[in-house]
Amino acid sequence: MTALERLARVVSWAVAAFVIIFLLTPIIVTLLVSFTSSSVYTLPPPQWSTKWFASLADKDGLWDALLLSLNLAFISTTIALVLGTTTALAVSRGRFPGREAIATFSVSPLMMPGLVVGVALLQFFRSLGINDAYFTLMLAHVVVTLPFVMRTLLAAFGSFDYTLLDAARTLGMPYGQAVLRVMVPALSPAFLTAGLFAFLASMDNYPVSIFLTDARNKTLPVKMLQYLEESPDPSIAAISSGLIMLALLALMLGSRTVGLNRMIQG
Amino acid sequence: MLATTEAEARGVVGASAGTPADSHHLVIRDIIKKYRDLTVLDTLNMAIGKGEIVSLLGPSGCGKTTLLRAIAGLTDTSAGSIKLAGREITRVAAHRRNVGVVFQSYALFPHLTVAENIAFGLKARGAPRAEIPDRVAASLRMVRMTDLADRSITALSGGQQQRVAVARALVVEPELLLLDEPFSALDRKLRETMQVELKSLLRDKGMTAIFVTHDQEEALALSNRIAVMNRGRIEQFADPVTLYEKPATGFVLEFVGLSTRVSGRVTSAADGQVQIETAYGPLQGRGKFAPGASVIAAVRPELISVARDGESGTGNAITIPLQDVMCLGSKTHLYGTARDSDLIVAEISGTAPLAQFTPGQSVALTWPSDSTLVFPAQGQ
Amino acid sequence: MSAEAITASVSQLAPVAKERDRFALLALPGLLYLGILFALPLLILLVKSLINAEGDLSLAGYAAFFSDPFNLSVFWRTLRVALLTTLLSLVLAYPTAFAMVRAGGWILTLMLVAMVLPLSVGVIVKAFSWSIVLRSNGIVNQALMGLGLVDEPVRLLFTETALVFGAANIFLPFMVLPIYAVVRQLDPNLSGAAATLGSGPLRTFLTVTLPLTLPGIIAGVAFVFSLAVSMYVIPSLIVGERHQNLAMMIARAFLFLRNEQLGSVIAVVLLAIATAVVFSSALLLRLVERRQR
Repeated sequence: MTALERLARVVSWAVAAFVIIFLLTPIIVTLLVSFTSSSVYTLPPPQWSTKWFASLADKDGLWDALLLSLNLAFISTTIALVLGTTTALAVSRGRFPGREAIATFSVSPLMMPGLVVGVALLQFFRSLGINDAYFTLMLAHVVVTLPFVMRTLLAAFGSFDYTLLDAARTLGMPYGQAVLRVMVPALSPAFLTAGLFAFLASMDNYPVSIFLTDARNKTLPVKMLQYLEESPDPSIAAISSGLIMLALLALMLGSRTVGLNRMIQG
Repeated sequence: MLATTEAEARGVVGASAGTPADSHHLVIRDIIKKYRDLTVLDTLNMAIGKGEIVSLLGPSGCGKTTLLRAIAGLTDTSAGSIKLAGREITRVAAHRRNVGVVFQSYALFPHLTVAENIAFGLKARGAPRAEIPDRVAASLRMVRMTDLADRSITALSGGQQQRVAVARALVVEPELLLLDEPFSALDRKLRETMQVELKSLLRDKGMTAIFVTHDQEEALALSNRIAVMNRGRIEQFADPVTLYEKPATGFVLEFVGLSTRVSGRVTSAADGQVQIETAYGPLQGRGKFAPGASVIAAVRPELISVARDGESGTGNAITIPLQDVMCLGSKTHLYGTARDSDLIVAEISGTAPLAQFTPGQSVALTWPSDSTLVFPAQGQ
Repeated sequence: MSAEAITASVSQLAPVAKERDRFALLALPGLLYLGILFALPLLILLVKSLINAEGDLSLAGYAAFFSDPFNLSVFWRTLRVALLTTLLSLVLAYPTAFAMVRAGGWILTLMLVAMVLPLSVGVIVKAFSWSIVLRSNGIVNQALMGLGLVDEPVRLLFTETALVFGAANIFLPFMVLPIYAVVRQLDPNLSGAAATLGSGPLRTFLTVTLPLTLPGIIAGVAFVFSLAVSMYVIPSLIVGERHQNLAMMIARAFLFLRNEQLGSVIAVVLLAIATAVVFSSALLLRLVERRQR
């Protein structure tokens, strides 16, 4: 190795180390702050306490917001997985013109400003007279989650060995069944990853949701921002820590079942 | 087997009589490569003359690819020196060594066309712009790929990719060409064709080349000399005939060509001859061993005569039941029923033995004692 | 004939005319859904912004928007912040991707977790934690004072620099992962091959490594830029009303000013920027990949 290559290697490790710290700092900070005894965000905390976690039980509307977000996330992810599977299958297996365009189109909402989509949907639903907040939120969240599903599934379907399906069909399975019983299990890591990213995208979504929520139907992110504006105390940090724990759990689950590296790398 | 020094016997030093090692084209001296506690290259010495084609032959993990990469400068060495055309290149960076490499996977640049791949080295070395198109064209003609000059790499077949890889490495006129199992990705028929082509190409250019291979037939077919490697050491470095007729160690015996080998114990030794007691009777061979030593007695199959039980011959003889008769077209192999890890095989040319012998029959195998090779048992 | 050539010719035999239509039908549900609930509302938004109070087609809204110097400053600021964020992310992500490919075992897992865990936590949590970190009594200031670099706390919050760092922090995984995916597939022998052909490390990087990682770079840059150009929560929490960007203006127009016309106009401007990014990156990708086909 030349000196230049050695230098490049050292630099890349240094940058990577910085990046890891850089990325994990907010997480660690939030976790630490959530255990503080004071009502202000000072670090290190004067004393450790779990009182902010306890205070969550009394937080007005938190539970409802959490339930609503979970509900929206689960259902919209499921719908997105179904729609995504059929579309990704069509794009990767079909021979009709415009496949690439459909693929690009189905992933494009990811790159569109969420706020703009929210505004457009708000006006759209209003002009159609659809006013039910839950219903509109659900429809919107599928639009949020579907591109995440498409992105993962398009890649996975593209590298799938379709001769497996042919083998199943020569053994007597109709096409639909072959897909369900051969392809889906074989691609389960991809489905898991797709579902995970979609779920998180829905749970985390603010820009689209803010326009469609009403007084009674507030999603968790909307509610949290509200808390931040009204009473910015470490209880927010406690909620965040709860979400971090959930995320860690999901990652651990993923690493046990599918393997962490495989999961993230698709 | 008599030898004045082990190094000479292994053919490592003095490729041609009277030539001091240093004037060779490539000289490798005491190369050691360690990965933490693991010694991958263990004090290697080798000298190659200009225009020679040499193979590094050995099982996977023997260090042959590591040695190749060390010569190319792609891997650092822990100790030792490498001299190419009189120039010390041990600490020289790979891009300044002028050593060409053809990788096992060809390593063609996927974002460049065939012609651009070949031009890459010329541009990197600052060849005059005006010259490049002609040299690339000549190179394409040499490997008969002129029509595919503007093709993308990914559209080529395995054989075509290999030809581009060779052309790319040769166009910059390196001092030495290294090839890492260049034919392993090709099917048999193509392999043979490419081997012949490549050999004549290298001859025409007078190029010094080192192949890495695990296929002894390939090594035997292509090289002037073969370095048989095992566990980071060169067991023997000699021409194919010497390797076959006078293997330096039991490993070389087994790795190069087929042989009968039986284990036994030395009963007496005198004047370079030993008597060995085996499960099949006493045998005589050449070697220097102390009585009681565990040895392997071996002989090349074509030197064994096979006769029906009862008929006798001179030299070493064993009588055993025949296990199998295998016809291989131009020759027939007769396998005797052997014990443990012994192998007893005789080779007779032609297909006559098929009619003469049947499995189960008791046969007498005889061969000259002088042709019997004796090696220490185990841990060679 | 190579294995790939055989597979390609066989797979071309497979779908018959009827099967071809069947696959097209499969794409219909997803397509219709996005068509009606994504493309259509956006189109309506676009059209509405072009129709003034009298019901005629006019660009008056846009003219009014761009003639106001304040609006222009917000427009340029949005682009500038997005560009800086993207650049910073790229500079950090590129070496990191290479380090990740060389890493193995637990180090790689740690790096992957560092990428994905923040993603799963949510924008609000992250932006919020950054605001904690950047406060006068936050750890950054504590570290700076502790190291003796400053005598009193630096005002980090509410600055554009803080915003760029905070946004880069949140979008970094979206730059690293696409580049990592591409670098992972690089043949490790290519740089060795270039070296034996006489190419020094710098030349090899510029002529081999960089071109081959370009698809990942383009994908990452496009994604992060479009995220950064339309971010709302992050600037709200880190810089507040002082350094508004277009997205914040839209929210303000709709939720506080109740000026839907203005809001729609700004929304379409933002949409145009995002669409331009999508198209140009797709085009660039097509160009680059055609070279490598």
